[in-house]
Amino acid sequence: MAQAISPDLDATLTPASHPRKRRRLPAPLRSPLTMAGLGIITVFVILALLAPLLAPYEPQQQKLAQRLKPPTTEHFLGTDQLGRDMWSRLLWGARISLTIGLVVVLSAGIFGTTLGLISGYAGGIVDEALMRLTDIFFSFPALILAMAIAGALGPNLVNTMIAIAVVTWPVYARLARAQVLSLREREFIQAAIAIGVPTPRVLWRHLLPNSLAPLLVQASFDMGAAILAAAGLSFIGFGAQPPTPEWGVMISEGRKYVGTQPWLSLFPALAILMTVAAFNLIGDGLRDALDPRLRSEL
Amino acid sequence: MQINPSKTRALTLAGILAILVAALGLAACNGVPANVQPTIQAGVQTAQAVAPTIAAAATALGPTVNAAVGTVQAQVTQVAPTIAAVATQAAGGQQPSGALVYANNIDDIVSLDPAIAYEFSGVLIDHNVYEGLVQFIGADLANLKPALAEKWDIKDAGDHWELTFTLRDDAKFSSGNPVTADDVVYSIQRAIALNKSPAFLYTDIAKLTQESVTAKDPKTVVITMPKDASPQALLTIFTFTLGGIVDSKEVKAHEVNGDWGSGWLLDHSAGTGPYVIDHWTKDSEVLLKANPNASVQPKIAQVLMKHVPESNNQQALLEKGDADIAQNLTPEQIADVTTKPGVASVKGDSLLLFYIGMNVGVKPLDNPKVREAIRTVIDYDGITKDLLSGNGTKWQTMIPNGLFGANSDTPFQQDVAAAKALLKEAGVENGFEIELGVPSGAAPGGVAWADLAAKVQSDLDQIGIKATIQQVAQAELLTNYRAQKGQLTMILWGPDFPDPDANVGSWTDYAAKSIAYRNAWDDKQAAADGRAAALETDLAKRAAEYKALTEYVLHNGPYAVLYQPTQLFGVRSNVQGFEWNPMGYADLWTVSKQ
Amino acid sequence: MSFGTFLLRRLIGIVGVLIGVSIITFAISHLATTDPAIAALGDHATDEQLAQFRAEYGLDKSAPEQYLIYAQNLLQGNLGVSIRTRRPVVQDLLQYFPATLELAMAALLIALLIGIPAGIWSAVYRNRLPDHLVRIFALVGGSLPIFWLGLIAVDVFYNEWSLLPAGGRLDDFLPPPQNLTGMYVVDSLLTGNLKTLENSLWHLILPALVLGYFSTSVIARMMRSSMLETLPQDYLRTARAKGLTEFAVIIKHGFRNALIPTLTIIGITFGSLLAGAVLTETVFSWPGLGLYATASAISLDFPAVMGVTLLAALVYMFGNLVVDIAYGFLDPRIRHPS
Repeated sequence: MAQAISPDLDATLTPASHPRKRRRLPAPLRSPLTMAGLGIITVFVILALLAPLLAPYEPQQQKLAQRLKPPTTEHFLGTDQLGRDMWSRLLWGARISLTIGLVVVLSAGIFGTTLGLISGYAGGIVDEALMRLTDIFFSFPALILAMAIAGALGPNLVNTMIAIAVVTWPVYARLARAQVLSLREREFIQAAIAIGVPTPRVLWRHLLPNSLAPLLVQASFDMGAAILAAAGLSFIGFGAQPPTPEWGVMISEGRKYVGTQPWLSLFPALAILMTVAAFNLIGDGLRDALDPRLRSEL
Repeated sequence: MQINPSKTRALTLAGILAILVAALGLAACNGVPANVQPTIQAGVQTAQAVAPTIAAAATALGPTVNAAVGTVQAQVTQVAPTIAAVATQAAGGQQPSGALVYANNIDDIVSLDPAIAYEFSGVLIDHNVYEGLVQFIGADLANLKPALAEKWDIKDAGDHWELTFTLRDDAKFSSGNPVTADDVVYSIQRAIALNKSPAFLYTDIAKLTQESVTAKDPKTVVITMPKDASPQALLTIFTFTLGGIVDSKEVKAHEVNGDWGSGWLLDHSAGTGPYVIDHWTKDSEVLLKANPNASVQPKIAQVLMKHVPESNNQQALLEKGDADIAQNLTPEQIADVTTKPGVASVKGDSLLLFYIGMNVGVKPLDNPKVREAIRTVIDYDGITKDLLSGNGTKWQTMIPNGLFGANSDTPFQQDVAAAKALLKEAGVENGFEIELGVPSGAAPGGVAWADLAAKVQSDLDQIGIKATIQQVAQAELLTNYRAQKGQLTMILWGPDFPDPDANVGSWTDYAAKSIAYRNAWDDKQAAADGRAAALETDLAKRAAEYKALTEYVLHNGPYAVLYQPTQLFGVRSNVQGFEWNPMGYADLWTVSKQ
Repeated sequence: MSFGTFLLRRLIGIVGVLIGVSIITFAISHLATTDPAIAALGDHATDEQLAQFRAEYGLDKSAPEQYLIYAQNLLQGNLGVSIRTRRPVVQDLLQYFPATLELAMAALLIALLIGIPAGIWSAVYRNRLPDHLVRIFALVGGSLPIFWLGLIAVDVFYNEWSLLPAGGRLDDFLPPPQNLTGMYVVDSLLTGNLKTLENSLWHLILPALVLGYFSTSVIARMMRSSMLETLPQDYLRTARAKGLTEFAVIIKHGFRNALIPTLTIIGITFGSLLAGAVLTETVFSWPGLGLYATASAISLDFPAVMGVTLLAALVYMFGNLVVDIAYGFLDPRIRHPS
């Protein structure tokens, strides 16, 4: 009988479990800073998507006779040590860096959140074991672990993303678990359990949507953090490898020219700065929007 | 649309950092005792020039900070001597008189024991600390000169060779002990017993065992070698680090658990060379001091080999006069730095060859015409002129310039039509796909491996060969290459001892399990010719044999040699007598500063 | 729970985590497709030498066997022998760690000295110019690739202005102070060696500033938001109306309470400083754990990498433990959370 009525009851319970859905876009999200962050990211995403159309040259196209030229009308961010167009490389680099951020956050977020939901819901020994596992990964020095992984598997873009995801997921597990613990005793969850909604469905339909807010804030910050970490790994030779136009690789290639042709490292550094700052602004906006204590004052 | 990013960048950052510095100055004020001040006079002027910047920054922070500005200035005055020291070092101010600062990347040093050192930096240092029985002087790698042995003799003793060395009378180790035949025997035996990286030169090339070396009397050493090993090769090996003679009394005194003293020799020295090792701080510095007992006294009393991994830091140190020699500058950095006052460059030759190995076990590389097409389509001139800015010589045969038997023929330069025709004859006129393996990081000489690979990739593309660049750590690349798993492999080769056989044997003899093996190129005739040339004692005949063999391998072998690199060093203009030896070291004892 | 039980539980937890960390690092090292023997011996090594090398480092045994040997040695405080430096890893760590610790502590000090006042300033002048300045400063600090900042800092402060040294811990030819802690600043203070003290501080400033910038922004942001929470604006108004100076109000009502949440992130920050040191040390030729770890990972020297990882994990956990204990003392309502 429980099974017969559960779909209906389940459906009627669902709206109540989405209290935030009814709200308008909260004020903090409309603040100029957050809008600036969103704007920058939108522009970068468009540039990245349209890179093949917008880039005046192929990112790998070499003109050795034109190497190390300062910005001109022809190459308006200059050329690098192989005579490649910096602007074209930056555009293609946007694809790579945004992909790194997205892949890392999605994979770490999904993995961590799943474990966190299970951990919080199951409790007991499962919870204890999973949380000790996050302790271990929290204690790892992120960059050194990533270096070890890149060293063992070989330095390239995919391994960089794996390495960063490995040190990123525990945050999501902790956050999701904390959310579940605070939600578990709430009426609508108890009701769903009582009427026999299957566990995966409780997790997926009820617990997850209500736990999303802090996870989203974290994800926004981690997009930036992942891009920075990947650039750092590239810089010391454990990340993407030349001639990939990843921004960290470009800074690393340009480091020998800091005193002579500074634009080689300046422009990719600015691109990283803007992207990461934008994600941080969005993260701030989201957090303010979700933190009732500060909202009214802004 | 010209913009000047360096100015904007400098200003923005200067602003941010100036505030930070001011704040730190405030924070540090309390910590530094005031009585440091009087000790210094020299630096005050420089410091005052600097102080207004910080004071200005501090003022900008507002009233709270203002009170402290005086203190900030005082602080600057105190710390200024460092700057002054930096400024006056070139003029010999606070630097110990007669010291040479050599900026280099020395994280490759494993040990400074001459029986173990086999890496660039370790070899450079040991060359100045140890002497062998014989030596090459300067860049002349053709004429052996006496070193610890005043004369030597090679005798054909029927079924074996017998080499007799007579030691000099006056040679002394840094400890003051005289050099005896026992030291020579001990040094060679310990290298064989330790069996570290360079030991194969004794055991595999010269086919020595511990029993091969005997002391006939305190001044005479006799070495026997089997007939299929080359005495000439052994003599050249003796000029190398491995041939360095150690003080057996001193080393035995530091033996621990039968380690032949290698734990102690790791960062101490017991040689006869112009310098002794004062200390080696890993990944930081090596300090060499003059050896009072050496027969050759260095012109400069101390050499500081400083670990500076960032080449732009090396450049900066050199510009400021804080380093006298900088080893790892790129061609662009050299071009830039030599426009500055007081900086010059020195060109050094090498015996290295940059080449692409073509695995003949991979189709269609098994077809000689395809390999010839690849050799024909590469733009060698573009690589040496544009990419290397002249920091390398076009060279295409397997014996590099500088060695006996070197063949300077360079028949190849990019000819797309000819290359296409060759591919057509080979039946792959539409090209093919192939992997191009290349190490990560920077190649010796300053150009990035990736840049070279990208250049070759775009050359190959012109005849439809689509190369995928597989860039991996050098060790991984070598693991694959050694297992015959490479397709096209871009890598560097350097001879282990300055004899043509060091290259020819490896490049022609499949059975030697070196690079002919790695490219699955098994040519019995080439291998036999190579072995015959190695043992040939008539030099004219030997030269003719190498000429024919290099010609043959150039067109039939599995290699496309790209160039022979030269290395440019940034040096202060007042540094005299710095000459790079193609074997990868310099006689630092001949360097002086005016 | 008594303090003793709390401490004991935490220490046991630390040992457990260390075992986990060592197992995971060990597993990673066995994912390697590259032969560490070739990495160590290079291009021209013979098969025989490779075999001898593998035997010497136990690389010829199965992975579980190797781990058991490693764990046994670990219990005796032996971290194995580094493949790259051919020295016991413990000896290497003892050489490199103090340099990194010195750098990280200096960076943390800078972060606290700048971050806390900046955060307070920002909160007090909320939505006015100082607030905007601090927030921009913090935003840039949290988003800038510090290795690039380091490159530029050397270029500007050494190259252009000749103001600060380019790298290293002391001037050339200046002998290091007597080795007590390995931290040059501390050692020269303890031995009263003023010349070395001044010189080592001078070398420490730039790398510490660059490394500390990220943490400064984290702490400034944290301080700002906790000040805003503990210091509602009408508080200030009332206090001012009562005739108290603004400064007294801020310190009395805001600062102490706001410090507590800031304290909790210091432990985490210290961990990030150790990681950041990897990049900073490369740029400044600072002979610390970061340079050591980078060179070791490049040469597939896994005993060394494992040593660094274990040490860094240990430091991170101790940092958090200390913070938790301090937390208990600062806030009497909380008695040592477990």
